[in-house]
Formats: sequence, structure tokens, C-alpha cells
Amino acid sequence: MQTNENKQNDSNSELLLTSVLCCVCETDDAKPVGVGTDFEYNTSRNTFLAMQCHSCGLVYLNPRPSVDEFDRIYPSNYHAFDFSENNFGFVYKVRRRLEARRLLSWCKGLKADAKIIDVGCGDGFHLDLLKEFGNKSWTIEGIDTSERAVTAAEKKGLKVHPGSVEQLELENESYDLAFLIQTIEHLETPDKVLDSVRRLLKPGGKIVIVTDNTDSPDFKLFKGGYWGGYHFPRHWNLFNKKTLSALAQKVDLEVVSINTIVSPVNWVYSIRNTLVDLNYPKWLVNRFSLGSTASLSAFTLFDYTFQLLGKGALLNGVLRRPE
Amino acid sequence: MSINGKPFAIIGAGLAGLTAANYLKRNAVPFVLFEAGPKIAGLASSFKDDEGFSYDFGAHFVTNRLAAAIGVSADCRVVHHYSETVWLKGKSYGYPFGLMSMPRFSFSAMVSRLKRKTETETAADYFRGEYGNALADEVALPLLEAWSGAPANELSASVGNKLANSIVKTLWLKLAGKISRRAIACGYSHEMPESANVWHVYPNGGISTLCKKLADGLDANIKLESPVESIVIEDNRAAKVRVKGEEIEVAGVISTAPINILAKLVKGTDALKSLHAFRYRPMVFVNLRFEGRGLLPDVVTWTPEKHFPFFRLTEATLSMPWLAPEGKTLITADIGCEVGDEIWTKSDDELGELCLRGLEKIIPNAREKYKGCRVLKTPIAYPVYLAEYEAKREEIEKSLGIEGLISIGRNGEFAHILMEDVYWRTLKRMRLFVRENQFPTQIENAKSIAISSSICI
Repeated sequence: MQTNENKQNDSNSELLLTSVLCCVCETDDAKPVGVGTDFEYNTSRNTFLAMQCHSCGLVYLNPRPSVDEFDRIYPSNYHAFDFSENNFGFVYKVRRRLEARRLLSWCKGLKADAKIIDVGCGDGFHLDLLKEFGNKSWTIEGIDTSERAVTAAEKKGLKVHPGSVEQLELENESYDLAFLIQTIEHLETPDKVLDSVRRLLKPGGKIVIVTDNTDSPDFKLFKGGYWGGYHFPRHWNLFNKKTLSALAQKVDLEVVSINTIVSPVNWVYSIRNTLVDLNYPKWLVNRFSLGSTASLSAFTLFDYTFQLLGKGALLNGVLRRPE
Repeated sequence: MSINGKPFAIIGAGLAGLTAANYLKRNAVPFVLFEAGPKIAGLASSFKDDEGFSYDFGAHFVTNRLAAAIGVSADCRVVHHYSETVWLKGKSYGYPFGLMSMPRFSFSAMVSRLKRKTETETAADYFRGEYGNALADEVALPLLEAWSGAPANELSASVGNKLANSIVKTLWLKLAGKISRRAIACGYSHEMPESANVWHVYPNGGISTLCKKLADGLDANIKLESPVESIVIEDNRAAKVRVKGEEIEVAGVISTAPINILAKLVKGTDALKSLHAFRYRPMVFVNLRFEGRGLLPDVVTWTPEKHFPFFRLTEATLSMPWLAPEGKTLITADIGCEVGDEIWTKSDDELGELCLRGLEKIIPNAREKYKGCRVLKTPIAYPVYLAEYEAKREEIEKSLGIEGLISIGRNGEFAHILMEDVYWRTLKRMRLFVRENQFPTQIENAKSIAISSSICI
């Protein structure tokens, strides 16, 4: 945990910002759809803009923090660095079971000697599940740019390459399956990363992407600023079916399928952000978090109905390196 | 034709000119910005006097969205309250709902709503049709005439063409403002959607902070005290600018000058001759200092009755307490005039006295609290939408008809657009302009995009 004094200094100085283009069509012709602040971690006083590209519809943060500000916008208490049982209890156990089932469904058809890589593995949550519930003969590896995340994952006995997939010199055409689970939205250059991941894959190898869906009712309702998926200022590129397949096309990947999956998280955090911004009391705000079983369960059911209509809160794309 | 390293020339270092410059810099397109004055910011400038009163030359408000786009959001304060009122027969009526609660106004507005709409040509017809005769004749038209200095039946209907939010949306935004205690922008931006997440903010360093941020790192490209003397048109294309007697070859010209001035700058074509007729309304802003706070019923008080010397009063400290020292306030009285007329030539003290006499009708003890005034004058406060040149205005909204020349910003577009709209519209037009002029072969696909305008008082 940071000291209070530290936090004060941090949040008062101006973040270093950069302007960017749409990573799908390389233009800057976009209009602001969302305006908001770092509701969750309060790492700066800045207000951020979610821009929507006129030509492809990609939603992206612009201007956004410079990569030099990573340590500041991902504070040490950031949830992806330490998603441990102590913090989240019962929900953690349920999530593990559900995620394990989902993960294995994507692994169907893999051979005994398959190599799997999780790009942006965080503290190794998914790798750990694959190790526990998957085929023991698989090779399972992760990549993450955050030292803290790598350390946490290594503690669990996982093999993690520290660094970025573009810079790491992993063996080309050697992997059967790559995961980018809630990773692509954090990336500076999703196109370059996917291009690098494609090189790592054997011809016919697959990439499974899970990310926030901008073609969803939670986005429509909260896109003015409170939408949980904005995760200001840490989600830099946000997709829907159309933009994800356009991105796949740009880096020469085939689209196997793009579906949506159920998730209560963006609903819960959209409400939480609203309450935080309007200064509602803490006890009420805390009813809406990753730790609150009631709201997570309620919104899981709620989102399930939208998922049936093809508009679940998360997007799941399966892409393939052409043979 | 290729630009071969020739720079674009930008005329004027106000919000529009600097937004254009920043855009070109970001896209690594060479340019030079010529500013006639000794410093940047133009209409968007502000300063603080020795006693601690702050004066904004033009705009008071921006939004959190604009501040975020420019990158100054962390250095802004939230404006907690903003609303307007109309002073009629010794009482104030909130705008718009207070006015509509008067049966005389709501009845006539309803009648006009029920009538079949016909094509309206003049502003007088437009407002009578929209608001009903009573509200138009007693409030909207007197204000419009004082503001523009022209009779309402000589003004074009497009002056009222701001597509206001629906009543439901206005109610929602007002309610959201009450709940969040923020001055949510309502009827401020026509270029981008308004929502409960977009509210007014004020930069700690004054409105000019925005321009300073945009100008960051552009020092080498900005030439101060360098008025452009002429723009040379060759083969219907802006080819050169003359600055301090020297001709410079350019890839194109981006002007923020008032269009009647632009018409004078352009040499080698008659295409802009008719723009000489376009008029801007000069305005005198009398900033009166008082002891006390909350002397007026609201932040903005409109005074349509003819016995007032001004048409609008603004007590900005009700929105932004930091603009005056504690326990004191600043009231700005807006008076429309013509350059050189009786109002324009009055001394500061005379103008202060004139306004004080008007203010005493609203604030009975105003004279006891009065502490002096500071007057700002501008010959180009607002474009005047005369019906006689409306057709031409609509034409130049699309294009000036000269290759490689655009006119941007509030004065350059001849549109009453506020800060945020100036920013987004400038970006939109620059994108198109650079595409057309940096690679002239691609002109065709870009030309079809027309730019719509919006106006509000």
C-alpha cells in the first residue's frame, strides 16, 4: 500500500499525456463519447476522454498517459497484481471454477505436447488454472511487462517471461494457442502485439481474446463517462465485433469466431463509478465491487439475458494464424 | 502540385489558430503562425489586477471535456453553479422554466407551437414562430436587437438556428446538475453531445491557460508582432503571404481574421469582394467592482427592457467565487455599440456611471457598494447575421472558393460559436484542409463534406 503522503503528491501533479491515432485505421478523426476520471484508484486529477473513431467505431483513450506514467496509473494495490484469496474470498473460488471451465473449452483439440502462452498474464490467475485443471503434459507460459505481476506469478511456480511480446525473442512458430485475456484493452499498440503473437504461433495456431464489449447495453447506458469498461485511464483501446475483426484483418489473422460472454463486472463498476463520482457514502459504494457477492450475482443473471441476445458485457474473439 | 516543404501559414494566435498549429505540429506538417499582437490567446485571454479581481476578455467557461482534450484538466476547478434569469417589470424570472410559468408567455408559446410552421426568413419571424409573440416581442427580440445592433426583421432567421436541447433533455441536465452540484453544460456545445458527464470548469491560471498549453513547444513556429499584410492568390490558389514586406511561399493559408478583414488581405482575386459587407458588432464590457456578493438574482441576468443601458449583466463570482477577492464581487455589463459612437467614446468613469444608474433599478444600494470599474472594448464581439448577406454566408460556410485558403474560429467562421465548438470544428476542418492541400490529388473525395454551423446568443 502507498502511504497517504505519496498519494497526495501523486494525484496533484499533472500526468504526462500523449496524443494518438486510431490503432485500426491510423486516423485521428474521432469524437469524444466518454468523459471521466480515475474513479477506481484516483491516481491523478486528470479528466480523460474516450474517443470513438468515425471510420471504424473503435473507442480509444486520447490523449492518454505516456508509457512513462505506468507506475503511477497502475498503483501497487492494482487488483491484477494481487488477486489473492484473502482479498476476494468466496467470489474468488466461484470465479476460479467458472474460468477454468471456460479456459478448457478453448483448449479443446490441443495435442498432448501443446504449447500455450498467456500474453499479459498478470499474477498468473489463468495459467494457474490451466496447470491445475488442464492436461499435465502441456507447456504453459506467460508474459507480462509488470515486474510486480511477474514476481507474483513466479511465486505460484509459473513460468513467466518478463517484458513485452514484441521485444522478447521467443521461438517463432512454436505455440499452439495464445491467450490475451483482458489484456488487449491495456495495450499501447494492439496491432503490433497481435502481429508479434501471430509470429509465435504455428500455422493454424489460435489466439483467444477476451475484452470489454462496446456493443453492449452497459456501454450504451454508461458511455457518457461512468462505464466500468473505460477503467480510466488504463483501458486504451476498446472493441466490438466489428473493430476486433478489422484489427484481426489488419495483422493478417483469420477470424474463427467472435461471440460475447457474460460478465457482471462492467455493470457493477459502472454503478460504483456513478456512486463514487456523486460522493455517495462508502458503505453504499462498497456494495458494488469485486468483493460483493450479491451485486456480482445479480448482475451475472442480468447480463445473462443480454448475452443470449449476443450482447454480453465481454467480447470473446478466436483468431487463427492462416495455414 | 506538391508542397515540397512549403509551410502552411496560420493567421492569428487565438484558440482557433493555436488549435490549428497544434494539429499541424502533431502531424509533422510544416507551418508558421503569424500573430499581429505581442502575445498569444486573442479573444481567449485573461488577466488579474492588483486587487485580486480576474478579468476574462471573452469567454468565462470551458468544459471538462475541452480541458481534457487540450490536456489541462488536472489544473481546473469545477464550476458548481450556472443559470440565467430575465429581468422583467422589476422581477426576475428563471430561464427557461421561470419565464414559461407566466401564463402570458406559455399561452402564446403554445399557440405558436400549434400553428403550422411556414418558412421563416427573418429572425423576427423565426422567434415569433418559435416562442410566440409575447415572449418574442418582450424578451427575445429586444435582446437580439440590443445584441446585434440591427432590427430583428433585417436579421436572418439562422441567427436563432441553434437547435436547443429538447425540454426533457434540458430538465434532465438541470436535475443532474442539482444532484451533482456541478454546472452541467446545457445549450453550450452544438458540435458534441451534451450529457451529465460534461460540465463547466475554469482553469486555475485563467482561460488563457488553454492557449498556453496548445502553444507549448511551438515557440519556433510562432511569430509575434508579425501582422500578415496580404495573401497573394495565384491561379485561384493561396500561394504567398506578405509579412513585414517580405513574401513567403506557402502550401496554404489558415486565417482566423474576421472575414471582412480577410477580404481586404486577399490580393489577386475578386472572389471575396462581397465579404467586405459582413459586419461584426462592437461591444463595450463594463466590469464594475462592488463590496458584497450575490447582488444580482443569478449568474447572468438578461435585461430586455429598453430603459436599461445594457442588455446583459453577469455576476461571474456566483459561478466562480475565485474571480474576486472574498466579500467582493464583479458585475460585467454588456453594451452593444458602434466604433466611434457615443458609447464607444465614453470614458471608463462615464460608462461606470451609466451602468450604475441602470443597476440601481435592480440593486437599490448599488451606489454605496460601488468600488470603480474597468472597461474592455472590442470592435468584433459578435458576427451580425444580416439577411442581406445570408446567402453569401451560407456559401462561405462550405468554402471560400479559393484553393488553399480556409477561415476558421469564431470570427473566421463568422459564427457565434463558443470555446469548445471552436476547438472541435477547427480540428474537423483542419483534417480536411490538410488532406486537400498536402496531397492535392485527393481533393475530390474530401470536398463533399459540408460543415454545418450553429449560432447561439
